Amino acid sequence: MRPNAELGELVWAMLNEALESYADSPRASDWLRYHMERYREPLRIALAGPPECGKSTLVNAMVGEKIAPIGSPGGVVVSTWFQDGPAPTVTVYSAQAPARELAVSRSEDGLQVDTRGWQPHHQDRVVVDWPTRTLREATLIDTPAIGSATGEEAGTTTLAQIAGETDGLLYLARQPRGAELQALQASPGNPVAESAPINTILVLAKADELGAGRIDALSSAQQVARRLRTDARVAATCQSVVPVAGMLGLAGKTLRDNEFAWLQRLSTVPRQTADTFLISADRFLADSPHQPLPPAARVSLLERFGLFGIRLASLLARRGFDTPAKLSAELVQRSGLGELREAINMFFVDRREVLKARSALLALDGLTRTEPRPSARRLVGQLERLLATAHEFRELRLLATLQANRTGLPAELGTEANRLIGGQGVDMLTRLGIDYEATEIEVREAIGQTVHRWRDIAENPMLDASARQAAQVVLRSCEGLLGAFVEPVRQ
Amino acid sequence: MIAPPWLSLLDETIGICLAHERGDLAERLRYRRARLLTPKLHVLVVGAAKQGKSQLVNALVNASVCAVGDDLTTMAPTIIQHAEEPSAVLVTDRRPAGPPALGAGPLPALSQSLPDRIPVPVEDVARQTSGRADPALRGSVVTAEVGLPRQLLAAGMVLIDTPPTEVAGRNRPGASVADLDQADTVVLVSDATCELTSAELELLVSATKSAPSVLIALTKTDLSPRWRTIAERNRTRLSEIGLQARMVPVSATLRLLAAQHNDKAMNEESGFAELVTCLQRDVLAKPDTLARRGVAMVAGTAIVEVVGPLRASVVEPDPNRSAEAIAKLRSAQQTIEDLRRHASRWQTVLSDETSDLVTDIEYDLRERTRRILREADRAFETADPQVTWAQFEDWLMESLTETANANYGWLLDRFRWLAEKVAQSVPMPRGESMPEDMAELPSDRLGVEELEAPRLEPFTLGQKAFTALRSSYGGVLMFGLATSLAGLPLINPISLGAGVAFGGKGIRDESEGRLKRRQAAARTAAQRHIDDFYLSFTKDCKDLLRQAQRRLRDHFLQVTESIQDEALAIAEAARQSIQADAVHTDTRNRQVQRDLEKLVNLYQRVQALVTAAVPARSAGLEITA
Repeated sequence: MRPNAELGELVWAMLNEALESYADSPRASDWLRYHMERYREPLRIALAGPPECGKSTLVNAMVGEKIAPIGSPGGVVVSTWFQDGPAPTVTVYSAQAPARELAVSRSEDGLQVDTRGWQPHHQDRVVVDWPTRTLREATLIDTPAIGSATGEEAGTTTLAQIAGETDGLLYLARQPRGAELQALQASPGNPVAESAPINTILVLAKADELGAGRIDALSSAQQVARRLRTDARVAATCQSVVPVAGMLGLAGKTLRDNEFAWLQRLSTVPRQTADTFLISADRFLADSPHQPLPPAARVSLLERFGLFGIRLASLLARRGFDTPAKLSAELVQRSGLGELREAINMFFVDRREVLKARSALLALDGLTRTEPRPSARRLVGQLERLLATAHEFRELRLLATLQANRTGLPAELGTEANRLIGGQGVDMLTRLGIDYEATEIEVREAIGQTVHRWRDIAENPMLDASARQAAQVVLRSCEGLLGAFVEPVRQ
Repeated sequence: MIAPPWLSLLDETIGICLAHERGDLAERLRYRRARLLTPKLHVLVVGAAKQGKSQLVNALVNASVCAVGDDLTTMAPTIIQHAEEPSAVLVTDRRPAGPPALGAGPLPALSQSLPDRIPVPVEDVARQTSGRADPALRGSVVTAEVGLPRQLLAAGMVLIDTPPTEVAGRNRPGASVADLDQADTVVLVSDATCELTSAELELLVSATKSAPSVLIALTKTDLSPRWRTIAERNRTRLSEIGLQARMVPVSATLRLLAAQHNDKAMNEESGFAELVTCLQRDVLAKPDTLARRGVAMVAGTAIVEVVGPLRASVVEPDPNRSAEAIAKLRSAQQTIEDLRRHASRWQTVLSDETSDLVTDIEYDLRERTRRILREADRAFETADPQVTWAQFEDWLMESLTETANANYGWLLDRFRWLAEKVAQSVPMPRGESMPEDMAELPSDRLGVEELEAPRLEPFTLGQKAFTALRSSYGGVLMFGLATSLAGLPLINPISLGAGVAFGGKGIRDESEGRLKRRQAAARTAAQRHIDDFYLSFTKDCKDLLRQAQRRLRDHFLQVTESIQDEALAIAEAARQSIQADAVHTDTRNRQVQRDLEKLVNLYQRVQALVTAAVPARSAGLEITA
């Protein structure tokens, strides 16, 4: 099923046409060529958020190795791009100096970068090539913290800058604050941003620190996330809310044998005794007759796992996760990384074409605004038509209104509509809500029924106009399913 | 008991606030005064969401009275004070009148069936102030009041747990600045997993401005292995921005565990001992140091708020009004100046134009009368006045009347034009025009006198006969003598014939001569008449013009004078108003200056409360008179 192929081709054609129209303007041509290149590149996902919310840790956890952050000399904060590459390299792109490669080495502790001789500047960009499967689908961008030393105003600008560079955004926060949500909301007045409103996943970072590090902190975090998902203000700005304990995930993914051995040793200490030194970080580090681990091991463990991680891991080891592989898998599963990956796949990777198209159209829109010219008028018209008519964008818009609970559809229909237009994933079975191995005939029947039902809803005079309009979009999505389903049969 | 010095200063400040119509400030100060007079220390626990505020309070009193949870929990402030028996009361929407204590903000609609104060079991309080409250109470609980038998509280401490300062998706605000200044001690709660954020620092700054004592509780030290680093960084950051607030690292978890196991060492480790010591010190310091500092702050802030507008009123004494008066004065002066410049000009124009007009009119009349005269002369070259006089007389009268009319008409035209020209050079405001009759001249004074007939000498029959006889006599005699030589008698046909011939010639000559004389006489008569007419008419015209000129001059003089008078009056009024303004402003300014001096004096005395108690603590407020 490739319902997006058409949109992708249209946008590609528009980019080419724009390049012809603006052939005489070197600035515009550069801009367009950059965006054409970007259009073919893997998806870009930026991680943004306030200081110390665990952006770099999450990058590491997602990649499964400690590669972030690249400590720049003098503590200057620069944005770092992690992309797939044949060999680990670190390149610094700077406006002041030519691009230069930094010497790197790969060790057990992850990436070591020799930053001598690099005079970092805020505008610099560090690109890290790292051979890993995770980065093949999407490039991760670790951005400078928002609102670290500057005020809210500057924070908004930074977020806008980040949004301009990326296709999807992971916004990390421990507790989203009102000002942050406002900054996340699509910039008003921009037709593209309004037409394709949402490309953000809210990540409740450091979920392990919730509830004073109680052992059930992660399930609490799940509950918080669930509440936030239903909060209209949150839902209007992001497609999903996912709690993640980045530190735990990273530790789980990179669990070393010696660490496993230490954790096992911890788990052999009787529960009561263990509790006395697991109460606080200070107590864990302090020497005590019951402490089974050498000081160096304790420091290392605490640094890698955090107190919560140690408590959880030792408990798990006690409960029978007795091999490094088992423990590692359980830690990763509990950290919420899997869910995050799923959300990223569902909302970003599966919608790659739409997001890429959105970015390209945003770029085109910006260009036709800053350099308006008669030859580009056709382009503007095309752009507007595409935004208004492309079903993918209409789906996105409906998704946004559904999540903000602003359609007139009754609740249960709203939920179904959300599923059908891909709010829970864009593949056919997810859309249809079929969670078992269904035969072709069953699926076809299900689609047929859905189409009929939504046709009735779309024509139901009892519903108000906005609800019927929403139903029309849903119907079109269902018909798309049917069409996509019929195609392979014909071949 | 002698009233402490801060009390009188506070009362004085309240009085001043009232005198300057700042009832709101006075109200706040009064409320503060009441708070200061109670010996209890109000400890306000504030901070962002999920920092462990409620847990901190719970750990302090070792009871689960504040709502603790992983999601947003505390919805309403909880006030905890000492009581012999544990008790708890929920205060719902309909609160007793008085200044808002805590959690002031947009409140949901009143639910009429709810009583104001609902007693609840102590174990239930935490639940009722959280999101898990009974549906009937949800959203309507404003505060919870808890009484606990605790030694810490018995010493005179009131703990107030507040909702988070800013939270997504919640409308009810936490501690606002107004709340902060009702507290004696503010405890800002920030967890040890990360540094103070800019929002927290802002909160801290406003807290230090309004609360006499500010503490920072660095919570969750049990969870964060890096808490020492974080604390160090926080201290650096605080000293960077010049805030002096004591930071106490604490762990509520350890404290609660310690209480559970009665473990003194663990209690010490939790850091709460230090926090309690700090708070107890504040309790002891309250009646003096804290009260002084508190008064210095609130009274200082109130004075600054009063001083601000007061000083602003000094610098600008109603600039609009004086600017208007000055503009008026300027324009009046301009008008007078214009008049002065134009006065000589229009008078010159008037006299010049009038004399030009006189010359022109005179010349015109002269030219016209001469033409008539020439025509009359020509007429009498041939015509016999005796025959044509009557006809001539008619013609002459007619011509002269016509001339007079034409000339007079022209004069009128010219005069009107002249008047307009003069009017243009007179600055006449308000579009005033010339009165209509100004340029009018009486038209009934035109008169051509009756023509006096010349003395014509008619050639009567007798005269003719006499002339014939006289002439024929010569002929008869001449030819009679000549013919007598020839022997003819003296009277003979020839001489008779000659006589007849001579007589006839005599008559002819005589009549011709008479005609000539008559013609001359007629001409002279006509000439004299025309001259007379010219003389009298010119005289009339000149008189008229002179009168008209005078009238015009008088009129314009009057106009300009009235304009000038008006302008002078305006200028005078403007000048007076400016002067009056200046005087008024001056008095007012002096009054304000006095007030300011008084305020500055008060401010200094108020600040002295602090400097006396806590040396080298400079308030960041500058006041100069």
